[in-house]
This record gives sequence, C-alpha cells and structure tokens, in this order.
Amino acid sequence: MRAALLWLGIALVVLALAIAAIAYGAVPLSAHAVIDAIGGRGDAVTVAIVRTLRLPRAVLALLVGAGLGMAGAALQGALRNALAEPYLLGVSGGAAVGAVAAVALGASGPLMLPLASFAGAALAIGVALGVARASGGRADPRVLLMAGVIVGAFANAAIMVMLSNAPPNAVRNALWWMMGSVADAGWVTVAWLAVYVALGGALLLWLAREIDILSLGEESAAALGVDAARSSRSIFLIAALLSAATVAAAGLVGFVGLVVPHLVRSVGVRRHRALIAGAALMGAGLVVAADLVARLARPPAELPLGAVTALLGVPFFLVQLRRLS
Amino acid sequence: MRSVAAGHLLLGDRCPFLRLAPRLRFLAILTAVASLGALTACGDAHRAAPALEVDDFGDTIRAGTRTNPARIASLNPATTELLFALGAGPRLVARTTWDVWPDAARAVADVGPGLRPNVEAVLARHPNLVVLYASAENRVAAEQLRAAGISVIALRTDKLADFVRTSRELGRAVGESASAATVIDTMQRTLAHVRAATLHLEHPTVFWHVWDSPIYTIGAGSFLDELLTIAGGTNIYADRTEPSPQVSLEDVIARDPRIILAGASGKSSLTSSPLWQGVRAVREHRVFVIDTNLVGRPSVRAGEAAASIARLLHPGIEL
Repeated sequence: MRAALLWLGIALVVLALAIAAIAYGAVPLSAHAVIDAIGGRGDAVTVAIVRTLRLPRAVLALLVGAGLGMAGAALQGALRNALAEPYLLGVSGGAAVGAVAAVALGASGPLMLPLASFAGAALAIGVALGVARASGGRADPRVLLMAGVIVGAFANAAIMVMLSNAPPNAVRNALWWMMGSVADAGWVTVAWLAVYVALGGALLLWLAREIDILSLGEESAAALGVDAARSSRSIFLIAALLSAATVAAAGLVGFVGLVVPHLVRSVGVRRHRALIAGAALMGAGLVVAADLVARLARPPAELPLGAVTALLGVPFFLVQLRRLS
Repeated sequence: MRSVAAGHLLLGDRCPFLRLAPRLRFLAILTAVASLGALTACGDAHRAAPALEVDDFGDTIRAGTRTNPARIASLNPATTELLFALGAGPRLVARTTWDVWPDAARAVADVGPGLRPNVEAVLARHPNLVVLYASAENRVAAEQLRAAGISVIALRTDKLADFVRTSRELGRAVGESASAATVIDTMQRTLAHVRAATLHLEHPTVFWHVWDSPIYTIGAGSFLDELLTIAGGTNIYADRTEPSPQVSLEDVIARDPRIILAGASGKSSLTSSPLWQGVRAVREHRVFVIDTNLVGRPSVRAGEAAASIARLLHPGIEL
C-alpha cells in the first residue's frame, strides 16, 4: 500500500515535470496561451513554439529517459554488476564513432547522423557479444562487461584520431552531438523511438523473471533451468539496442542508465519487473527535468543535456551511496 | 529543371502521384519519399509559384521571401553586418550574441547562438525572414522555422565569392538590390585597387598563425588566403586545400616563411616560446599583428582588410 502510494507520487511528479516542460522555455508564455496553443488556437507563433518545439521535445526527453533507465536496470541485473550501464558497455563509444565518422565524411544531416550512430552502436554491441561468445560461452558476465569496456576504449581512441584531423566545423558538430540534446526533436524521431522503447521495454519486462534468476548467480540459475550465458547475452542485446536507439535520437545523454536503477532500488524495489518499470518512470522524469534545467539556466543559450543529467543525478547517487555504507 | 519536369508530368491541376493505380501509387510514394525534390516540385507546380532559386542548403527560396520582409532575424555576424550595409539594419529584430559590428547591431535583440540557434527565442521576435549560416548543424533549425511558416534563407559566407553571391541574394530578398550592387561594387573596386598596387611588388612568403596547440594555419580553402594573395603575399600553405589545416612546427621551420601574421595574443605567445625561436621570422622579429576583428570574416570591409594586410607586408605602400 505504501509502495503504491510512493509510485503514484513519483508518477505525479513526472507528469508535473512533463507539463512544466511544455509550459516553460526560453520565451515566457501564459498558461492560458499554452493551453490554447496545444489545441491549435491563438497566435501562430505561440502555436508553433508549443506544438512544433516544446511538445515533441518533452515527449522525446521522456522516451530517452525511459529507454536508458530500463536498459540500465536490465543490464545491472543480468550482468550482476552495479556499474553495468549501456554507455560503459561500448554502446556510447560505438555510436559516437558512427556519428563522428559521418560528420568527418560530411554526412552530418539530420537523417544520416542518427543512422550512422545507430550503426556504430550496433557494430560495437556485435563485437562485444562476439568476443564474449568466443570466450567459451561460460556464464561469466564479467567477460561480457570486459569486452564492452574494451570495445568502448577502442572507440574512444578512434574518435580522438578522427577528430584530431577533422576541420573545426566538423569537430564542433561532433562535440555538440556527444553532449546530447533533445532540441532537434520532431514527431518522426519521437514516433520511431516510441516504437523502440515500447518494444524493447515490453521484451525486458517479459524477461524480468529471467533477470531475477540471473541476478542470483549462475549456479542458482542453472538449478532453476536457465542458461545463464545465453540469457544474459540476449538481455544485453535488447538493452544495448534500446540505448542505441536513444543515442541515435538525442546523442549521448550520460549517467541516466547508471544512476536511475540505483535510485529505484533505494526505495526498496528488488524484483526486476517493478525495477524496470520504475526505472522507466524515474529515467523519464530525470531527463525531462534535466532538459528543463538545460533550457532555463541561461536562456536563450542552452546547456548540454548530457552534462545536466549527470549534474542532477550524481548528488542523488552520492547521497544513496552514503546511506548504503 | 524542376518546373519543366513537373509541368511535363502534370495532367490537369493534380499531382501526378495521385493519379496512378494503387499498386503503382505505393511505389511512387516510396520514390517520392526517397527524393523529396520531386514532392517539392509537385507542391510548387500546384501553387503555380515559379520559385526556382535555392539557398545553400539546396532548399527552395519561397516566393513569399521576395515581399520585402518587415522583420528580419539574422543569425550570422557576416549577414548582420551586410544587412546594415544594405540599409536594412532598422528592420533587424534578432541577431546572435556575436553580431556586434556595426555598433548599431548591439541595439538589436540578442537571441543567443547562431549555430544551433534557440528556435523558440527566434520565433518570439516574430520575424518574417530568418537568415541562417548554412552549416549542417543549422538544418534542423531551418526545418523547424519553416514548419512555423517563416521564410528561411541559409547562406554560406566562407569565401569572397560567397560574399558577392550572398549580397546579391540578400539584397533581392529584402528589397535592396540597388544597395547590394553598390556594396559589391565598392568592395570589388577596393580589392582591385589593392591587387593593382601589390601586383608588381615582390610577394614575401607568409605563415598565417591561427592557433598554437595544435598549430592551425590557413589553406587555399580559406578566404584569408584570398585576401593574403590580393595583399601581395604568398601563403606557405597554399598547397593545402582545407580552410584551416593543422601543421607541424618542424614543417613551418622547413618552409621558412619570410613573415608571420598573427593576432595580438598569438604574437606574444609565439615570441615568448623557445620552440618558435627555431623559425627564422620569429628570431628576426618579423611577426606582425593583424586586426582579427577586421579580417575575421568575408564582409563589407574585405577591401579594407586586404589593404591593412598589404600595409604590413609592404611598408610604405601607397593605398
């Protein structure tokens, strides 16, 4: 009962944040004007600000946060490691290599950049999985973790080599992308990311019982009839592709996948079905809140979203760490 | 080409894709999505507006842009400066943080950055026309502004030829074509004057210092290389095609430039660095300071900029 009330409260906070994301921006608008504009009435400029800029932006922030939160919760459980998160496992590195390569080759338009970053992330995921599989298929999640981290290190080196020789325009474009942003949100991006988050989220929720079993350790998993190596690989694949989709839509939004699952655990959630659902909600809230801060801190300039998520998330995380120890 | 193709395809007043059999229509829609140009052709023909000119993003400049906009947002220091020169300054309603020349530009509302501009802040100024710098990261902003029903022109302003083209295009868009012709003429005449004055002088070799660590200079792709040539200098890195190539100190020493041009802070860091003592021009005190504000971009003042460089390279020249 108390738990239900708590989650209702959190859901209301996220809803309030989403409403704030539509009501507030670089330009002050009255509540009345915003409500009219949502319905398509009133001044054309206000309608454009609310409907073509703020609405898709708020929805995209919710989706990115939900996707990263779920991916982090699933990975930390399946790999039995509190530091496992999509970005640590080569996804961000692979995506960044794809994006920087596209920029360096001059294909930096709003169509090519997401495609290239997704392709890069998928490649990194493939390499990490291939290495883990070739290591003999033993159910040791550390192999998968190591493979991901090493692929990420290689990706970082590749990015530095490409950027060191790139013209200043390309470097600037790539840096912006690596700092993360939902400013370019449009309904097309929102639509395809929604498909990814819905599908990926549904699959992870469906596999939540397996993640529960995996998190008990490989022997318990074997005793309960779960092939730990296979199962953790497929969860890794789903979570990584889900985060790759968020990266393609909004660039690198760091720290959400790492911090949010811990926040959900800190309110007493242990079972992965609830953990994944809770991480979706809190992740959505964190990214919407961060984007609001990014827009309102010093308008009309914006702060990089990926930095603000960390600035907001880290203090929470540190408080939780102190409480644990 | 667009209007001819569209006119040829059109039977009656409707878009050709809608007249095909359903199975073909699916294919046609796929093709149309693959080449948005075809869709544009359809829409344009439908409205019977012969808007054929395109900006530097390759987007069609709409006919509405030509109707002498009363409220202009210019998100590029080069175009802001140009609009003032064209006499359209009083119609400017938004600029970027960096548009501070001429002084009157400071009175225009500052809407933040010009690369990835804050579209919301731009919209709030109610512009009829937005002038953007045609860089890849501004594409989404251009689409968002057009979606809000505002005319957008994205212009590259990287080389002297761009300046001529940009002046002509902007002059037409804001109804100041006559001023544009004068501005272009004045700049080209000053440049021709500087070129003529330096033509028969010896052209010293020059290293243009842009940045220290890593060392960046100017290549043939930069308009600064164009200015340097007109001012009677020879860029030692004219063989590099990029606008701002990265080079090594060893190579600078090997190419042994006669003169080094740098900004004020660049000069002090070069002359105080023991490493740069390896370059003869530094040892022999031939590092000259350029006014980076004046030569920073291809603008109305390009002629003046070329003259200032010529005076550094050829002391005593009459200009």
